[in-house]
Amino acid sequence: MQALLSFDQSPPFAAPLRFFLTAPLFAILASLLLLWSGPELFASRWTPAALALTHLITVGFLLQVMLGAMLQILPVVAGANVPWPLAIARLVHLAVGLGALLLAAAFLGNQPLAFRLAAALIGSGVAVFVLAAGHSLLGVSSADSTIRGLKAALIGLSVTVTLGMLLATALDGSFELPLMQVTSIHLGWGLGGWSAVLLAAVAFIVVPMFQMTPAYPEWFARRFAWTMLALLSLWSAADIADWQEPAALLASAAVLMVAAFAGLTLQLQRRSKRARVDATQRYWSMAMLCTLAACAVWLAASAFPAIAERHEWPLLCGVLALNGGLMSATSGMLYKIVPFLVWSHLQNLGRGRVLAPNMNKVIAGKAIDRQMYAHFVALALLLAATLWPGWFVYPAGLALLASNACLLRNVLRAVWFYRGQRLKIEALTPRPATSS
Amino acid sequence: MTKKRADVVLDARQMEAPEPMVQTMEALDSLGRSETLLVLLPREPYPLYRALELNGFAWQTERLPDGTVAVLIRHQAP
Repeated sequence: MQALLSFDQSPPFAAPLRFFLTAPLFAILASLLLLWSGPELFASRWTPAALALTHLITVGFLLQVMLGAMLQILPVVAGANVPWPLAIARLVHLAVGLGALLLAAAFLGNQPLAFRLAAALIGSGVAVFVLAAGHSLLGVSSADSTIRGLKAALIGLSVTVTLGMLLATALDGSFELPLMQVTSIHLGWGLGGWSAVLLAAVAFIVVPMFQMTPAYPEWFARRFAWTMLALLSLWSAADIADWQEPAALLASAAVLMVAAFAGLTLQLQRRSKRARVDATQRYWSMAMLCTLAACAVWLAASAFPAIAERHEWPLLCGVLALNGGLMSATSGMLYKIVPFLVWSHLQNLGRGRVLAPNMNKVIAGKAIDRQMYAHFVALALLLAATLWPGWFVYPAGLALLASNACLLRNVLRAVWFYRGQRLKIEALTPRPATSS
Repeated sequence: MTKKRADVVLDARQMEAPEPMVQTMEALDSLGRSETLLVLLPREPYPLYRALELNGFAWQTERLPDGTVAVLIRHQAP
Protein backbone atom coordinates (compact mmCIF):
# COMPACT_ATOMS: atom_id res chain seq x y z
CA MET A 1 0.00 0.00 0.00
CA GLN A 2 1.47 3.35 -0.95
CA ALA A 3 1.85 5.78 1.93
CA LEU A 4 2.78 8.93 0.04
CA LEU A 5 0.96 12.21 -0.33
CA SER A 6 -0.01 13.39 -3.75
CA PHE A 7 -2.04 16.45 -4.70
CA ASP A 8 -1.84 18.84 -1.76
CA GLN A 9 -1.85 21.85 -4.08
CA SER A 10 -5.10 20.95 -5.84
CA PRO A 11 -7.77 23.59 -5.28
CA PRO A 12 -10.13 22.66 -2.42
CA PHE A 13 -12.90 20.27 -3.52
CA ALA A 14 -15.55 22.96 -3.01
CA ALA A 15 -13.86 25.40 -5.42
CA PRO A 16 -14.60 23.72 -8.78
CA LEU A 17 -17.51 21.64 -7.45
CA ARG A 18 -19.81 24.63 -6.87
CA PHE A 19 -19.75 25.38 -10.61
CA PHE A 20 -20.55 21.77 -11.53
CA LEU A 21 -23.46 21.58 -9.07
CA THR A 22 -25.24 24.73 -10.20
CA ALA A 23 -24.66 24.40 -13.98
CA PRO A 24 -27.39 21.72 -14.42
CA LEU A 25 -29.81 23.98 -12.52
CA PHE A 26 -29.47 26.61 -15.25
CA ALA A 27 -30.15 24.00 -17.94
CA ILE A 28 -33.23 22.94 -15.93
CA LEU A 29 -34.34 26.59 -15.87
CA ALA A 30 -33.79 26.72 -19.65
CA SER A 31 -36.03 23.67 -20.09
CA LEU A 32 -38.74 25.24 -17.90
CA LEU A 33 -38.53 28.39 -20.02
CA LEU A 34 -38.95 26.26 -23.14
CA LEU A 35 -42.05 24.58 -21.67
CA TRP A 36 -43.47 27.93 -20.53
CA SER A 37 -42.85 29.73 -23.86
CA GLY A 38 -44.01 26.93 -26.14
CA PRO A 39 -43.55 26.92 -29.93
CA GLU A 40 -43.31 30.75 -30.11
CA LEU A 41 -39.79 30.55 -28.70
CA PHE A 42 -38.59 29.09 -32.00
CA ALA A 43 -40.27 31.76 -34.16
CA SER A 44 -36.85 33.41 -34.55
CA ARG A 45 -33.44 33.52 -32.87
CA TRP A 46 -34.30 37.08 -31.77
CA THR A 47 -37.37 36.31 -29.62
CA PRO A 48 -36.78 37.40 -25.99
CA ALA A 49 -37.36 33.81 -24.83
CA ALA A 50 -34.83 32.40 -27.36
CA LEU A 51 -32.22 34.95 -26.24
CA ALA A 52 -32.93 34.22 -22.55
CA LEU A 53 -32.70 30.46 -23.18
CA THR A 54 -29.45 30.85 -25.14
CA HIS A 55 -27.83 32.75 -22.26
CA LEU A 56 -29.12 30.35 -19.59
CA ILE A 57 -27.24 27.66 -21.53
CA THR A 58 -24.14 29.65 -22.52
CA VAL A 59 -23.55 31.63 -19.30
CA GLY A 60 -25.50 29.53 -16.79
CA PHE A 61 -24.43 26.06 -17.91
CA LEU A 62 -21.44 26.21 -20.26
CA LEU A 63 -19.49 29.13 -18.77
CA GLN A 64 -19.90 27.73 -15.26
CA VAL A 65 -18.68 24.24 -16.21
CA MET A 66 -15.80 25.67 -18.25
CA LEU A 67 -14.65 28.02 -15.44
CA GLY A 68 -14.85 25.23 -12.85
CA ALA A 69 -12.96 22.87 -15.16
CA MET A 70 -10.27 25.48 -15.81
CA LEU A 71 -9.74 25.97 -12.06
CA GLN A 72 -9.05 22.25 -11.81
CA ILE A 73 -7.11 21.85 -15.05
CA LEU A 74 -4.64 24.74 -14.63
CA PRO A 75 -2.64 23.18 -11.75
CA VAL A 76 -2.67 19.71 -13.32
CA VAL A 77 -1.67 20.51 -16.89
CA ALA A 78 0.26 23.75 -16.46
CA GLY A 79 1.47 23.59 -12.85
CA ALA A 80 -0.35 26.94 -12.53
CA ASN A 81 -2.03 27.42 -9.17
CA VAL A 82 -4.77 30.06 -9.07
CA PRO A 83 -4.20 32.23 -5.97
CA TRP A 84 -6.83 31.91 -3.16
CA PRO A 85 -8.77 29.34 -5.19
CA LEU A 86 -11.73 29.00 -2.83
CA ALA A 87 -12.27 32.74 -2.40
CA ILE A 88 -11.91 33.35 -6.15
CA ALA A 89 -14.27 30.46 -6.94
CA ARG A 90 -16.91 31.75 -4.49
CA LEU A 91 -16.75 35.27 -5.90
CA VAL A 92 -16.76 34.26 -9.58
CA HIS A 93 -19.47 31.65 -9.05
CA LEU A 94 -21.77 34.11 -7.26
CA ALA A 95 -21.25 36.91 -9.79
CA VAL A 96 -21.64 34.73 -12.90
CA GLY A 97 -24.58 32.75 -11.47
CA LEU A 98 -26.53 35.86 -10.40
CA GLY A 99 -25.54 37.59 -13.65
CA ALA A 100 -26.91 34.70 -15.74
CA LEU A 101 -30.23 34.80 -13.87
CA LEU A 102 -30.51 38.57 -14.24
CA LEU A 103 -29.58 38.42 -17.92
CA ALA A 104 -32.34 35.88 -18.64
CA ALA A 105 -34.81 38.02 -16.67
CA ALA A 106 -33.64 41.14 -18.54
CA PHE A 107 -34.30 39.51 -21.93
CA LEU A 108 -37.72 38.26 -20.84
CA GLY A 109 -38.81 41.56 -19.25
CA ASN A 110 -36.80 43.94 -21.49
CA GLN A 111 -35.48 45.67 -18.38
CA PRO A 112 -32.56 48.09 -19.01
CA LEU A 113 -31.58 48.11 -15.32
CA ALA A 114 -31.47 44.29 -15.21
CA PHE A 115 -29.30 44.30 -18.37
CA ARG A 116 -26.86 46.73 -16.76
CA LEU A 117 -26.71 44.79 -13.49
CA ALA A 118 -26.25 41.50 -15.35
CA ALA A 119 -23.45 43.03 -17.43
CA ALA A 120 -21.75 44.37 -14.29
CA LEU A 121 -22.01 41.01 -12.47
CA ILE A 122 -20.90 38.76 -15.35
CA GLY A 123 -18.22 41.27 -16.40
CA SER A 124 -16.75 41.57 -12.90
CA GLY A 125 -16.93 37.81 -12.26
CA VAL A 126 -15.17 37.00 -15.51
CA ALA A 127 -12.62 39.80 -14.96
CA VAL A 128 -11.70 38.35 -11.55
CA PHE A 129 -11.36 34.88 -13.09
CA VAL A 130 -9.29 36.06 -16.06
CA LEU A 131 -6.96 38.07 -13.80
CA ALA A 132 -6.51 35.16 -11.37
CA ALA A 133 -6.03 32.54 -14.10
CA GLY A 134 -3.81 34.91 -16.11
CA HIS A 135 -1.70 35.58 -13.00
CA SER A 136 -1.26 31.85 -12.41
CA LEU A 137 -0.12 31.40 -16.02
CA LEU A 138 2.44 34.23 -15.86
CA GLY A 139 5.87 32.78 -16.46
CA VAL A 140 4.47 29.40 -17.60
CA SER A 141 6.07 28.58 -20.95
CA SER A 142 3.73 28.56 -23.97
CA ALA A 143 5.71 25.79 -25.68
CA ASP A 144 2.90 23.32 -24.92
CA SER A 145 -0.14 23.51 -27.24
CA THR A 146 -2.60 23.14 -24.36
CA ILE A 147 -1.03 25.93 -22.31
CA ARG A 148 -0.97 28.16 -25.38
CA GLY A 149 -4.64 27.32 -25.97
CA LEU A 150 -5.62 28.07 -22.37
CA LYS A 151 -3.96 31.49 -22.59
CA ALA A 152 -5.66 32.23 -25.93
CA ALA A 153 -9.03 31.08 -24.56
CA LEU A 154 -8.77 33.63 -21.74
CA ILE A 155 -8.36 36.35 -24.40
CA GLY A 156 -11.33 34.93 -26.33
CA LEU A 157 -13.45 34.95 -23.16
CA SER A 158 -12.47 38.55 -22.37
CA VAL A 159 -13.43 39.76 -25.86
CA THR A 160 -16.75 37.84 -25.78
CA VAL A 161 -17.77 39.22 -22.39
CA THR A 162 -16.64 42.79 -23.19
CA LEU A 163 -18.79 42.76 -26.34
CA GLY A 164 -21.66 41.23 -24.37
CA MET A 165 -21.41 44.01 -21.77
CA LEU A 166 -21.40 46.64 -24.53
CA LEU A 167 -24.54 45.09 -26.04
CA ALA A 168 -26.32 44.82 -22.70
CA THR A 169 -25.72 48.49 -21.89
CA ALA A 170 -26.54 49.74 -25.41
CA LEU A 171 -29.89 47.95 -25.66
CA ASP A 172 -31.76 50.84 -23.99
CA GLY A 173 -30.51 53.19 -26.70
CA SER A 174 -28.29 55.20 -24.37
CA PHE A 175 -25.54 55.11 -27.02
CA GLU A 176 -25.28 54.22 -30.69
CA LEU A 177 -24.10 50.72 -31.51
CA PRO A 178 -24.68 48.61 -34.63
CA LEU A 179 -26.47 45.96 -32.55
CA MET A 180 -26.80 43.19 -35.18
CA GLN A 181 -23.15 43.52 -36.23
CA VAL A 182 -21.79 43.56 -32.67
CA THR A 183 -24.08 40.63 -31.76
CA SER A 184 -22.64 38.62 -34.63
CA ILE A 185 -19.06 39.42 -33.52
CA HIS A 186 -19.94 38.63 -29.86
CA LEU A 187 -21.33 35.26 -30.98
CA GLY A 188 -18.32 34.53 -33.22
CA TRP A 189 -15.88 35.16 -30.37
CA GLY A 190 -18.00 33.24 -27.86
CA LEU A 191 -18.20 30.14 -30.04
CA GLY A 192 -14.81 30.38 -31.78
CA GLY A 193 -12.42 32.43 -29.63
CA TRP A 194 -13.52 31.10 -26.24
CA SER A 195 -15.39 27.79 -26.59
CA ALA A 196 -13.65 26.16 -29.56
CA VAL A 197 -10.18 27.32 -28.47
CA LEU A 198 -10.72 26.06 -24.89
CA LEU A 199 -12.29 22.79 -26.04
CA ALA A 200 -9.41 22.13 -28.43
CA ALA A 201 -6.78 23.03 -25.79
CA VAL A 202 -8.34 20.54 -23.39
CA ALA A 203 -8.87 17.94 -26.14
CA PHE A 204 -5.16 17.94 -27.04
CA ILE A 205 -4.58 16.37 -23.60
CA VAL A 206 -7.74 14.55 -22.59
CA VAL A 207 -8.59 12.79 -25.85
CA PRO A 208 -5.26 10.91 -26.01
CA MET A 209 -5.15 10.51 -22.19
CA PHE A 210 -8.67 9.21 -21.49
CA GLN A 211 -9.63 7.78 -24.86
CA MET A 212 -6.25 6.11 -25.54
CA THR A 213 -5.88 7.64 -29.00
CA PRO A 214 -2.72 8.76 -30.81
CA ALA A 215 -1.75 12.40 -30.13
CA TYR A 216 -3.07 15.26 -32.30
CA PRO A 217 -0.59 16.17 -35.04
CA GLU A 218 1.88 18.69 -33.61
CA TRP A 219 1.54 21.08 -36.59
CA PHE A 220 -2.21 21.34 -35.98
CA ALA A 221 -2.21 21.55 -32.18
CA ARG A 222 0.58 24.13 -32.18
CA ARG A 223 -1.22 26.54 -34.52
CA PHE A 224 -4.91 26.08 -33.74
CA ALA A 225 -5.48 28.60 -30.93
CA TRP A 226 -3.62 31.62 -32.28
CA THR A 227 -4.79 31.00 -35.87
CA MET A 228 -8.37 31.07 -34.57
CA LEU A 229 -7.77 34.32 -32.68
CA ALA A 230 -6.02 35.88 -35.69
CA LEU A 231 -8.86 34.88 -38.05
CA LEU A 232 -11.51 36.18 -35.64
CA SER A 233 -9.64 39.49 -35.16
CA LEU A 234 -9.30 40.02 -38.92
CA TRP A 235 -12.92 39.00 -39.51
CA SER A 236 -14.15 41.39 -36.79
CA ALA A 237 -12.15 44.27 -38.32
CA ALA A 238 -13.36 43.48 -41.86
CA ASP A 239 -16.95 43.19 -40.65
CA ILE A 240 -16.83 46.53 -38.80
CA ALA A 241 -15.23 48.17 -41.87
CA ASP A 242 -18.06 46.67 -43.95
CA TRP A 243 -15.68 44.77 -46.27
CA GLN A 244 -18.24 42.10 -46.94
CA GLU A 245 -16.30 39.73 -49.16
CA PRO A 246 -13.10 39.51 -47.05
CA ALA A 247 -15.27 39.25 -43.90
CA ALA A 248 -17.21 36.31 -45.38
CA LEU A 249 -13.98 34.57 -46.42
CA LEU A 250 -12.38 35.04 -42.99
CA ALA A 251 -15.51 33.81 -41.19
CA SER A 252 -15.60 30.74 -43.44
CA ALA A 253 -11.92 30.07 -42.71
CA ALA A 254 -12.58 30.18 -38.95
CA VAL A 255 -15.56 27.81 -39.32
CA LEU A 256 -13.43 25.45 -41.43
CA MET A 257 -10.75 25.45 -38.70
CA VAL A 258 -13.35 24.34 -36.15
CA ALA A 259 -14.63 21.70 -38.57
CA ALA A 260 -11.05 20.46 -39.09
CA PHE A 261 -10.62 20.10 -35.31
CA ALA A 262 -13.88 18.14 -35.04
CA GLY A 263 -13.01 15.92 -38.03
CA LEU A 264 -9.52 15.25 -36.72
CA THR A 265 -10.86 14.33 -33.26
CA LEU A 266 -13.32 11.85 -34.81
CA GLN A 267 -10.52 10.34 -36.87
CA LEU A 268 -8.32 9.95 -33.75
CA GLN A 269 -11.20 8.41 -31.83
CA ARG A 270 -11.49 5.70 -34.50
CA ARG A 271 -7.93 4.68 -33.58
CA SER A 272 -8.68 4.48 -29.84
CA LYS A 273 -7.06 1.54 -28.03
CA ARG A 274 -9.66 1.44 -25.27
CA ALA A 275 -11.16 -2.02 -24.90
CA ARG A 276 -14.58 -0.60 -24.03
CA VAL A 277 -15.96 2.72 -25.26
CA ASP A 278 -17.13 4.71 -22.24
CA ALA A 279 -19.70 7.50 -21.87
CA THR A 280 -17.10 10.29 -22.12
CA GLN A 281 -15.89 8.91 -25.45
CA ARG A 282 -19.46 8.65 -26.80
CA TYR A 283 -20.21 12.15 -25.54
CA TRP A 284 -17.13 13.48 -27.35
CA SER A 285 -18.04 11.65 -30.57
CA MET A 286 -21.53 13.18 -30.47
CA ALA A 287 -20.03 16.60 -29.71
CA MET A 288 -17.70 16.41 -32.71
CA LEU A 289 -20.42 15.11 -35.07
CA CYS A 290 -22.73 17.96 -34.02
CA THR A 291 -19.90 20.50 -34.38
CA LEU A 292 -19.28 19.26 -37.92
CA ALA A 293 -23.01 19.46 -38.66
CA ALA A 294 -23.21 23.01 -37.23
CA CYS A 295 -20.26 24.08 -39.40
CA ALA A 296 -21.93 22.49 -42.47
CA VAL A 297 -25.23 24.31 -41.81
CA TRP A 298 -23.38 27.63 -41.33
CA LEU A 299 -21.39 27.17 -44.56
CA ALA A 300 -24.52 26.13 -46.47
CA ALA A 301 -26.39 29.23 -45.25
CA SER A 302 -23.43 31.43 -46.30
CA ALA A 303 -23.28 29.87 -49.76
CA PHE A 304 -26.97 29.48 -50.62
CA PRO A 305 -29.33 32.48 -50.22
CA ALA A 306 -32.32 30.11 -50.29
CA ILE A 307 -31.11 28.59 -46.99
CA ALA A 308 -29.98 31.92 -45.51
CA GLU A 309 -33.51 33.32 -45.96
CA ARG A 310 -35.08 30.61 -43.82
CA HIS A 311 -35.46 31.60 -40.14
CA GLU A 312 -34.82 28.01 -38.99
CA TRP A 313 -31.14 27.79 -39.93
CA PRO A 314 -29.66 29.92 -37.10
CA LEU A 315 -31.80 28.00 -34.59
CA LEU A 316 -30.68 24.65 -36.02
CA CYS A 317 -27.05 25.81 -36.06
CA GLY A 318 -27.35 27.11 -32.47
CA VAL A 319 -28.84 23.86 -31.11
CA LEU A 320 -26.19 21.81 -32.95
CA ALA A 321 -23.32 23.97 -31.64
CA LEU A 322 -24.54 24.59 -28.08
CA ASN A 323 -26.56 21.52 -27.07
CA GLY A 324 -24.97 19.06 -29.47
CA GLY A 325 -21.37 20.28 -29.46
CA LEU A 326 -20.56 22.13 -26.27
CA MET A 327 -23.07 20.63 -23.80
CA SER A 328 -22.15 17.10 -24.94
CA ALA A 329 -18.40 17.72 -24.60
CA THR A 330 -18.68 19.47 -21.22
CA SER A 331 -21.05 16.81 -19.83
CA GLY A 332 -18.63 14.10 -20.99
CA MET A 333 -15.77 15.93 -19.30
CA LEU A 334 -17.72 16.26 -16.05
CA TYR A 335 -17.77 12.45 -15.86
CA LYS A 336 -13.96 12.44 -15.83
CA ILE A 337 -13.31 15.61 -13.81
CA VAL A 338 -15.76 15.01 -10.92
CA PRO A 339 -14.69 11.38 -10.19
CA PHE A 340 -11.04 12.45 -10.47
CA LEU A 341 -11.64 15.26 -7.97
CA VAL A 342 -13.33 12.87 -5.55
CA TRP A 343 -10.58 10.28 -5.96
CA SER A 344 -7.67 12.73 -5.55
CA HIS A 345 -9.16 14.43 -2.47
CA LEU A 346 -9.93 11.07 -0.85
CA GLN A 347 -6.42 9.91 -1.68
CA ASN A 348 -5.02 12.92 0.19
CA LEU A 349 -7.40 12.57 3.13
CA GLY A 350 -6.46 8.90 3.52
CA ARG A 351 -2.77 9.91 3.78
CA GLY A 352 -1.72 6.47 2.60
CA ARG A 353 -3.44 4.70 5.49
CA VAL A 354 -6.75 4.41 3.60
CA LEU A 355 -6.60 4.08 -0.18
CA ALA A 356 -9.19 5.93 -2.27
CA PRO A 357 -11.66 3.66 -4.08
CA ASN A 358 -11.36 3.22 -7.84
CA MET A 359 -12.50 6.29 -9.82
CA ASN A 360 -15.09 4.20 -11.67
CA LYS A 361 -17.00 3.61 -8.43
CA VAL A 362 -17.66 7.31 -7.78
CA ILE A 363 -20.64 7.50 -10.19
CA ALA A 364 -22.15 4.20 -11.37
CA GLY A 365 -21.59 3.54 -15.09
CA LYS A 366 -25.29 2.73 -15.61
CA ALA A 367 -26.36 6.08 -14.12
CA ILE A 368 -23.94 7.88 -16.44
CA ASP A 369 -25.20 5.93 -19.48
CA ARG A 370 -28.84 6.68 -18.62
CA GLN A 371 -28.09 10.41 -18.38
CA MET A 372 -26.16 10.33 -21.64
CA TYR A 373 -29.03 8.68 -23.53
CA ALA A 374 -31.47 11.19 -22.00
CA HIS A 375 -29.22 13.98 -23.29
CA PHE A 376 -29.13 12.45 -26.79
CA VAL A 377 -32.94 12.14 -26.85
CA ALA A 378 -33.27 15.78 -25.70
CA LEU A 379 -30.84 16.84 -28.42
CA ALA A 380 -32.77 14.99 -31.15
CA LEU A 381 -36.06 16.51 -29.96
CA LEU A 382 -34.57 20.02 -29.76
CA LEU A 383 -33.26 19.69 -33.32
CA ALA A 384 -36.71 18.55 -34.46
CA ALA A 385 -38.28 21.47 -32.53
CA THR A 386 -36.25 24.01 -34.51
CA LEU A 387 -37.95 22.70 -37.70
CA TRP A 388 -41.40 21.68 -36.38
CA PRO A 389 -41.85 23.64 -33.13
CA GLY A 390 -45.58 22.91 -32.86
CA TRP A 391 -44.92 19.18 -32.63
CA PHE A 392 -41.69 18.96 -30.72
CA VAL A 393 -41.21 21.91 -28.32
CA TYR A 394 -42.96 20.29 -25.34
CA PRO A 395 -41.33 16.84 -25.67
CA ALA A 396 -37.96 18.64 -26.16
CA GLY A 397 -38.50 20.75 -23.02
CA LEU A 398 -39.41 17.68 -20.96
CA ALA A 399 -36.42 15.71 -22.27
CA LEU A 400 -34.03 18.61 -21.55
CA LEU A 401 -35.48 18.81 -18.04
CA ALA A 402 -35.05 15.06 -17.49
CA SER A 403 -31.48 14.88 -18.84
CA ASN A 404 -30.28 17.77 -16.68
CA ALA A 405 -32.10 16.51 -13.58
CA CYS A 406 -30.18 13.23 -14.16
CA LEU A 407 -26.92 15.17 -14.59
CA LEU A 408 -27.52 17.02 -11.31
CA ARG A 409 -28.33 13.73 -9.56
CA ASN A 410 -25.13 12.17 -10.89
CA VAL A 411 -22.95 15.07 -9.65
CA LEU A 412 -24.76 14.89 -6.29
CA ARG A 413 -24.09 11.12 -6.20
CA ALA A 414 -20.37 11.90 -6.46
CA VAL A 415 -20.65 14.37 -3.56
CA TRP A 416 -22.52 11.84 -1.40
CA PHE A 417 -19.95 9.18 -2.27
CA TYR A 418 -17.16 11.57 -1.22
CA ARG A 419 -18.89 12.38 2.08
CA GLY A 420 -19.48 8.71 2.85
CA GLN A 421 -15.84 7.81 2.17
CA ARG A 422 -14.63 10.82 4.15
CA LEU A 423 -16.57 9.64 7.21
CA LYS A 424 -14.97 6.19 6.83
CA ILE A 425 -11.51 7.77 6.63
CA GLU A 426 -12.19 9.92 9.69
CA ALA A 427 -13.25 6.83 11.59
CA LEU A 428 -10.11 4.91 10.59
CA THR A 429 -7.49 7.62 11.03
CA PRO A 430 -6.64 9.35 14.31
CA ARG A 431 -6.24 12.82 12.74
CA PRO A 432 -9.54 14.38 11.59
CA ALA A 433 -9.79 14.94 7.83
CA THR A 434 -10.02 18.63 7.07
CA SER A 435 -10.36 19.00 3.29
CA SER A 436 -13.65 20.73 2.42
CA MET B 1 18.92 9.46 -18.97
CA THR B 2 18.53 5.90 -20.21
CA LYS B 3 16.55 2.89 -19.05
CA LYS B 4 19.88 1.20 -18.31
CA ARG B 5 20.69 3.78 -15.63
CA ALA B 6 17.47 3.21 -13.68
CA ASP B 7 16.85 0.36 -11.25
CA VAL B 8 13.10 0.37 -11.83
CA VAL B 9 11.35 1.52 -15.04
CA LEU B 10 7.66 2.38 -15.22
CA ASP B 11 6.31 2.96 -18.73
CA ALA B 12 3.07 4.86 -18.14
CA ARG B 13 2.65 6.19 -21.68
CA GLN B 14 -0.30 3.95 -22.51
CA MET B 15 -2.05 4.19 -19.13
CA GLU B 16 -5.31 6.00 -18.52
CA ALA B 17 -5.25 8.73 -15.84
CA PRO B 18 -4.89 8.53 -12.86
CA GLU B 19 -3.09 5.15 -13.24
CA PRO B 20 0.35 6.72 -13.97
CA MET B 21 0.17 8.68 -10.70
CA VAL B 22 -1.08 5.70 -8.69
CA GLN B 23 1.55 3.31 -10.06
CA THR B 24 4.37 5.86 -9.66
CA MET B 25 3.46 6.42 -6.02
CA GLU B 26 3.29 2.67 -5.44
CA ALA B 27 6.69 2.17 -7.07
CA LEU B 28 8.19 4.98 -4.96
CA ASP B 29 6.79 3.42 -1.81
CA SER B 30 9.00 0.39 -2.30
CA LEU B 31 12.01 2.21 -3.82
CA GLY B 32 15.26 1.48 -1.93
CA ARG B 33 17.34 4.40 -0.54
CA SER B 34 19.98 4.08 -3.26
CA GLU B 35 17.65 3.01 -6.09
CA THR B 36 16.30 5.08 -8.97
CA LEU B 37 12.91 4.96 -10.68
CA LEU B 38 12.47 6.06 -14.29
CA VAL B 39 8.91 7.00 -15.25
CA LEU B 40 8.02 7.41 -18.94
CA LEU B 41 5.02 9.66 -19.55
CA PRO B 42 3.27 11.28 -22.51
CA ARG B 43 3.47 14.76 -20.94
CA GLU B 44 4.90 16.85 -18.09
CA PRO B 45 3.48 15.53 -14.74
CA TYR B 46 3.07 18.74 -12.68
CA PRO B 47 1.09 17.14 -9.80
CA LEU B 48 3.75 14.42 -9.53
CA TYR B 49 6.50 17.03 -8.99
CA ARG B 50 4.64 18.46 -6.02
CA ALA B 51 4.09 14.97 -4.60
CA LEU B 52 7.82 14.18 -5.02
CA GLU B 53 8.79 17.39 -3.25
CA LEU B 54 6.43 16.65 -0.36
CA ASN B 55 7.69 13.12 0.07
CA GLY B 56 11.42 13.87 -0.03
CA PHE B 57 12.39 12.76 -3.54
CA ALA B 58 14.70 14.44 -6.06
CA TRP B 59 14.05 14.20 -9.80
CA GLN B 60 15.40 15.06 -13.22
CA THR B 61 13.13 15.51 -16.23
CA GLU B 62 14.12 15.05 -19.85
CA ARG B 63 11.98 15.37 -23.00
CA LEU B 64 12.93 12.66 -25.50
CA PRO B 65 12.84 13.25 -29.29
CA ASP B 66 9.57 11.26 -29.66
CA GLY B 67 7.82 13.60 -27.16
CA THR B 68 8.09 11.18 -24.22
CA VAL B 69 8.77 12.87 -20.89
CA ALA B 70 11.24 10.83 -18.85
CA VAL B 71 11.41 11.51 -15.09
CA LEU B 72 14.29 9.92 -13.15
CA ILE B 73 13.50 9.84 -9.42
CA ARG B 74 15.63 9.05 -6.37
CA HIS B 75 15.46 9.71 -2.62
CA GLN B 76 16.84 13.11 -1.62
CA ALA B 77 20.23 12.98 0.05
CA PRO B 78 19.72 13.09 3.86
